Amino acid sequence: MTNTHAEASADVIYTARLIRTANPSRPTGTAIAVRDGRVLCVGTLEECQSWGITNVDRRFEGKVLTAGFVEAHSHVMAGMFHRIPYVGWFRRQMPDGTWVDGVRSTAELTERIREIAASTPDGESVIVAGFDPIYLDTERLSRHHLDEATTTHPVFVFHASGHLATVNTHTLEKYGIGPDHPAPGVGLDDEGYPNGELREPAAMGLAKDEYRALGRIVVDLETLGHYGASMRNAGITTATDLGSTSHMNDDTFRATVDITAADDFPVRMVVATRVAGSPHDMDAVVERIRECRGATHDKLLFPIVKMVLDGSIQGFTAVIETPGYYTGEDHGLFLLPPEQVVDFLRPFHMAGIGIHCHCNGSTTSQVFIDAVETLLRESSWPDHRHTVTHAQLMTPAQMRKAKNLGMSANFFVNHVFYWGDQHRDITVGPDRASGMNGCGTADRIGLQYSFHTDAPVTPPGHLHTMWCAVNRLTASGKVLGENERIPVDRAFHAATIDAAYQLHLDHLVGSLEVGKFADMTVLESDPYEVEPASLRDIEIWGTVIGGIPHPNPSAE
Amino acid sequence: MTRIPVFVIGGYLGAGKTTFINDCLDRGLRNTAIIVNDFGEINIDASVISARHGDTLELSNGCVCCSIGTSLADTLFAVLDRPVPPETIIIEASGVADPGAVAAYTHLQGLVLAGILVLVDAVEATRTARDPLLRTTFERQVKSAHVIALTKTDIAPAEAVDRAGALVASLNGSATVVSAAAFALGELVVDAPSTPAFEPATDSPSPFASHVHRFGAPPSTAELRDFLASLPRGTVRAKGVVETRDDSRVLVQMTGTHVAITPTTLAPTGLVIITAG
Repeated sequence: MTNTHAEASADVIYTARLIRTANPSRPTGTAIAVRDGRVLCVGTLEECQSWGITNVDRRFEGKVLTAGFVEAHSHVMAGMFHRIPYVGWFRRQMPDGTWVDGVRSTAELTERIREIAASTPDGESVIVAGFDPIYLDTERLSRHHLDEATTTHPVFVFHASGHLATVNTHTLEKYGIGPDHPAPGVGLDDEGYPNGELREPAAMGLAKDEYRALGRIVVDLETLGHYGASMRNAGITTATDLGSTSHMNDDTFRATVDITAADDFPVRMVVATRVAGSPHDMDAVVERIRECRGATHDKLLFPIVKMVLDGSIQGFTAVIETPGYYTGEDHGLFLLPPEQVVDFLRPFHMAGIGIHCHCNGSTTSQVFIDAVETLLRESSWPDHRHTVTHAQLMTPAQMRKAKNLGMSANFFVNHVFYWGDQHRDITVGPDRASGMNGCGTADRIGLQYSFHTDAPVTPPGHLHTMWCAVNRLTASGKVLGENERIPVDRAFHAATIDAAYQLHLDHLVGSLEVGKFADMTVLESDPYEVEPASLRDIEIWGTVIGGIPHPNPSAE
Repeated sequence: MTRIPVFVIGGYLGAGKTTFINDCLDRGLRNTAIIVNDFGEINIDASVISARHGDTLELSNGCVCCSIGTSLADTLFAVLDRPVPPETIIIEASGVADPGAVAAYTHLQGLVLAGILVLVDAVEATRTARDPLLRTTFERQVKSAHVIALTKTDIAPAEAVDRAGALVASLNGSATVVSAAAFALGELVVDAPSTPAFEPATDSPSPFASHVHRFGAPPSTAELRDFLASLPRGTVRAKGVVETRDDSRVLVQMTGTHVAITPTTLAPTGLVIITAG
């Protein structure tokens, strides 16, 4: 077992323009005293000094400290952009703090790839990621655009959706993907020749070397370090790796323990084991979680597990109730047999391990809620906090039932901005789209909730989720669901203490209270004071984890 | 280039997929990679397990069992990377998977689809097809099949089997439909004649009849295809290594109406043709 904070750091008081604690009993202060990485006192400088501490650090004097933001649904894969150039539509910050401008046309993409190819030896692959054609008005990306960038390197453009790649002609030729290729995911042009699109993993895997290289980067331990940096830059103090299996391997687990223990690793990590395979294996998974809990430290925690029940709404693979999708073909797909859900989950419920279940569709939300009801009839556990995660199409009736069962919801509220226009016009139609990720409805019903970014699916950071929940604006600037808007104060609590609650960690993180970890997000402005429309534009200085400052390298 | 034939086995929970794989092992399956969701239920005698590495069991008969981790593509790449690649791959799709989508992976370099076999529980089929949660999953599975096996026929009432047969025929008119207990289906994949040690795991008579067809003179590939297309409806499988006129040997894998003909270096065997008996 590694001991992170074996040496007690010196007592310190941080002063600030304002501290927002997310503790309504003592909501604000101007100074916070830290001892051994935990909050000793939050209030005025005088109150903090009454503990006999003379070491006052005034670096945050002009800044706003908030209870650290807690991200209850993100993935370590979000650290991949340290190795794979980012080519998405929106400007995005890289783990090293630098910003990369968005790619606004296929011509810009071609230019970006040409630059990368120029410094890459011929024959070596050029892999880029995050491309998001949904916002592009220009013609659909094909191999021809990529051929303009290079004909001497295989090019592999991995799209933001994760379901599609576009490759150049060099790549098609490398793998013999020609006009007669029978694979269903190989896109064809009007003449029947492959256009460079490889859809879904089965077809992306045809470009074997490039697809495998991508997979290796996503799981390597270096990515974990860059993930921590990305989270710090976004002001997140507790982040998750939701649906991980890395700790099932002893060597990877021990390496992860060491990496996250280091004082310079800038985020507290929650690892949620992926529940998959067979119900028969679940007792062993419970046992493994217990082992990991016994061999870790307070910056690497194993409070919950994650199950996935369906796909995505924009991919038409979420399982949704009648009347189904608004336009497009229903490809709704259960990822586990609905009648096995209770068997999969029983060992965790019995062991007191919280369950977060990915349900994008309303049908899968119902299956999970019903499964929790069955488990509770079998075995009482009033404090389970089992959570519907994504929960995008939860109906009011499902919310009422979830509330009565003691469940929680983690809304993917960023969808309102990133895909809200598409949900209104294409996937579920105007009525259901306006109620998606219904924070307002949840408040009226009294259902406990938080929200998430699912990074790397959307960029990490709770100022953006709060902005979405408060304003409900789509990418085209339209309000989607005015009655689902919530006040800033409510959004702030959802992004902090309420997320911590879902992770069974609200006694440790999520608010600044005596005895809890001194985890803070450091902002240049107060989220309560800025115009609601500017919430997402607040500059983030960085974070403080267990009393240790972690500046965003671009913000100092 | 030779390509490894891949069988995809689909069907909802309880249809008999695991029983089928156990039957294949009982019949002396060799040099095959079996890719499953879970090997908890597969009946592997501990004495034949020669090694275990994480998600992979190596058996003394040359088979390996792998569980699908997070990515089927990665599992298949790992199988292809083995020092001695298998001669055959069987993928047991999960109970909710669309076997057609799983079969898309057989276009990866070095693989060829030998056929999609979907098992349907004859007792439960009509109920499953009406269940609002399961209907779409069930229909997708049946529609993707080259051969549909109605299982549990040893315990299902005759009228249930008839109803199930009519149901699957209405969903998929091109697949060959057979009625057989799942423990009698291994013959469709395992080459019994080449495994002299084979002893049937059960005493029940085989639901299949088979004969070996030998061509008088080596056919051209086109003639071979014509011959396969002319086989009577109800032909479940045709398989074997055939010498063709252009002096190349090919491996024939026909499952229902799905035909794969690929170059091979194996010795000619003639064409084993299996019909519902």
